[in-house]
Amino acid sequence: MYDLFIAPLAETYFQKALIGGSIVAVVAGVVGCLVVLKRMAFLGDALSHAMIAGVAGGYLVMKLLFGAEAHAPGMLLGSLIAAIATVALISFVSRISRVKEDTAIGIMYTGIFALGVVAVSIFRHYIHIDLMHFIMGDVLGVADSDLWVSAFVAAFVLTLLILFFRHFQLATFDPVMAASIGLPVLLIDYVLTTCVSLVVVSAVSMVGVILVVGLLITPAATAYLLSDRLDRMMWLAALFGVTSVVGGLYLCVWLDSAGGGAIMLFCTLQFLVVLAVAPKYGLLARWRRMRNLVPQQVIEDILTTILRHGKTTPMAVIRQYVESGGKGIKKALLRMIQDGLITSSAGGYDLTADGEKEANKVLRAHRLWEAYLDTIGTPEEQLHPTAHHLEHISDTNTVDYLDEKLGHLDHDPHGQPIP
Amino acid sequence: MTTNRSTVIEVEHLTVSYQAKPALLDVSVKIESDQLIGVIGPNGAGKSTFIKAVLGFVKPDLGTVLINGKSAQKAKGEVAYVPQRGAVDWDFPITVKEVALMGRYQKIPWYTSPKAADYEAAFNALEMVRMQDFAERQIGELSGGQQQRVFMARALAQGSDILLLDEPFAGVDAATERAILDVLERAKNSGKTLVVVHHDLSTAAEYFDKLILIKQRMYAYGTPSVVLNEDLLSKVYEGRLRIFSDIIKKGEA
Repeated sequence: MYDLFIAPLAETYFQKALIGGSIVAVVAGVVGCLVVLKRMAFLGDALSHAMIAGVAGGYLVMKLLFGAEAHAPGMLLGSLIAAIATVALISFVSRISRVKEDTAIGIMYTGIFALGVVAVSIFRHYIHIDLMHFIMGDVLGVADSDLWVSAFVAAFVLTLLILFFRHFQLATFDPVMAASIGLPVLLIDYVLTTCVSLVVVSAVSMVGVILVVGLLITPAATAYLLSDRLDRMMWLAALFGVTSVVGGLYLCVWLDSAGGGAIMLFCTLQFLVVLAVAPKYGLLARWRRMRNLVPQQVIEDILTTILRHGKTTPMAVIRQYVESGGKGIKKALLRMIQDGLITSSAGGYDLTADGEKEANKVLRAHRLWEAYLDTIGTPEEQLHPTAHHLEHISDTNTVDYLDEKLGHLDHDPHGQPIP
Repeated sequence: MTTNRSTVIEVEHLTVSYQAKPALLDVSVKIESDQLIGVIGPNGAGKSTFIKAVLGFVKPDLGTVLINGKSAQKAKGEVAYVPQRGAVDWDFPITVKEVALMGRYQKIPWYTSPKAADYEAAFNALEMVRMQDFAERQIGELSGGQQQRVFMARALAQGSDILLLDEPFAGVDAATERAILDVLERAKNSGKTLVVVHHDLSTAAEYFDKLILIKQRMYAYGTPSVVLNEDLLSKVYEGRLRIFSDIIKKGEA
C-alpha cells in the first residue's frame, strides 16, 4: 500500500506533475464545458496543432533577435499568435469560400502544423525542440517555469469565467437574446477562443499536442452526463479533470508508461464508466427505462381481446391472442390496472368504462382499416393480419379520414359492426 | 382603433439589402400598444430581416426603426425576444428557473450575482405562464408547449412592453397552440404589445388583432378582414395557396 500510493508522493517530479497537471486540468475542464456546448471541440484540436508553428517562430525570433535560448515567454506568445491566426484563417476561409467550417478547420490546422514541423526541421541547428516531446508531452518533466505559466493562465481564465459567467452562459445558450439585450456577443466569442488558446498552450507541455483536446473536452463531456446546470457541470468537469490527472499519474508510475497517455486513458475510462452508470443520461438508466416501457401495441391488443371475449377474460385467453412474452403481458396488465383501464378478479380481467372506450376506439380503427384494405383489393386472407398491424395507427385524424373515404360504413367486410 | 393607444414601434421607409438584393423595401408601419400583431408572408419574404431590424441587429440602408421613440440600436432590451423552438439547444444544461432568470440579466451588473428580487421576478413570470411547478426541470424534459411558455416567461421577466415571437406555433399540436395563445392573450391584457411571426394563414384571422403582410415590400397592415383579401394574398403568394376562400370567409366572420 505504502509503496503504491505514498512513495510516489515523496518524489519531486511526481509532486510537480500532480500540481501542474491538476491546475491545467481544472481550467481545461471548466473552459471545456463551453467548448462542448458550443460544439467547437475540433477547434481545440486545431489550436493545439497550430501551436508548433508558433513555438518554432517564437523560439527563432527570440534567439535571432535577442540571443535567448528557448525563451519560454517568447514561445508562449508565439503559440498564442499562431493559435489566433489559425482561428482567423479558419473563419476567413469558411466565410469567403464555399468550403464549410469543418473542412476549413482541417485544412488550416494541418497546414500550420506542417509549417511548424518543416520550420523545426530546417532550423534544427538553431532550434532545439524535441518534436516527440511536443507531440506526446512530458508531464513527468514539468519545469518550474511551466508551473508558473499554467498557474497564471488558470488564474486569469478562471477569473474571467467566474466574473462573466452569466455573459458566457447566455451568449452560448441564446446568442440572439444576448445580442438583443446589448451583450457584445462577438467579443465574448473572441474572449472564449483566446481563453481556449491560452489553456491549450499551457497544457501542451504536459500532455502533448494530440492529447490536449481530450483534456479539454472529455472531463466536460463526463460532467455533461451528470448535470442539468452549467455551474454544476463546470464544478464536476474540474473535479473529473483532477481525478484524471491523479489517476493517470499513478497509472503511469505503476505501469511505467508515458504520462500524457496514462492521464488521457484514465480520463476516457472515467468517461465510459459514467456513460454506463449515470443516473439520468447513462446507458444503464436508458436500458432500464426501455425495459419498463410497456408497448402501446400490447395494451391495445389486450383491450380488444377482452372486448371481443365479451365477459371476464382469464389469463389463458389473453395469452392466446396477444403476441408478447409472458412477462410482457403481466407487466402490461399491471400497468393497465394502475391506469384504470381494467380490473382484475378471481376469474380474470374486465374492462372498466374507460377501458371499454379505448378498446372500442381500437376496434373501430381495426374494422375501418379492414374495410379500407378491402376496397383497395387486399386479398381476404390478408385482411385481418394487415389490419391488426395497422390498427395501432389509430389517431383521430387517420380514423376520420378512413371513415370519410369509405362513406361512413356501418359494417366491415366480415359483416361485423363498426363501433 | 381607439385613440388612447400610443405608437410603440415605428418603422419608416425601412430598406435592407444583402448584396444588392433587397430583403426589405420601403417598409413603413406604426404599431400601437396593447395589441397582438401577426407578421405574415411567404418564405423568404423578409420576415426574419424584419425581426432583426426591430431588435436592432441590422443596419438599414435607408429608413429608421424607432422603439418607444428611440432608435432600435439604442433601445437594447426594450424588445424581448422569444426564439423559434428549433433554434434552441434543448440539451443545454439549464433549468426552467434559470431560463426565466435570464430575462433579468440585463439589469444585473456584471460584478454582482442575481438578488432575491431577480429570483422573485423570474418566479412571478413563471407563475404567469403556469410553469412554476416545473422550475427545477431541465428544459429538454418539457413538452413543446411548455418549452414555448418558459421562453415567454423569460420575455415577461425582462419587463419589456414589447415582445417579439418567432413562429411560436410551429410544430405544436392544436391543444398546445390554444394554451400558447392563451398566454399571449393574457400578456396582451396586462399591457404588452406582441409581434408574432406566423406562417399559418388559416389561423391568422382568429389569433391576431392586426396583421402585417410583407414580401420585401409591405403589402398591407390592418385588421385581418382587411389584410386577408383574395387579391392581396394571391399577389403575395402568387397563387400558391388554394384555400384563400376559406381563409377570407373566416376573416370576415
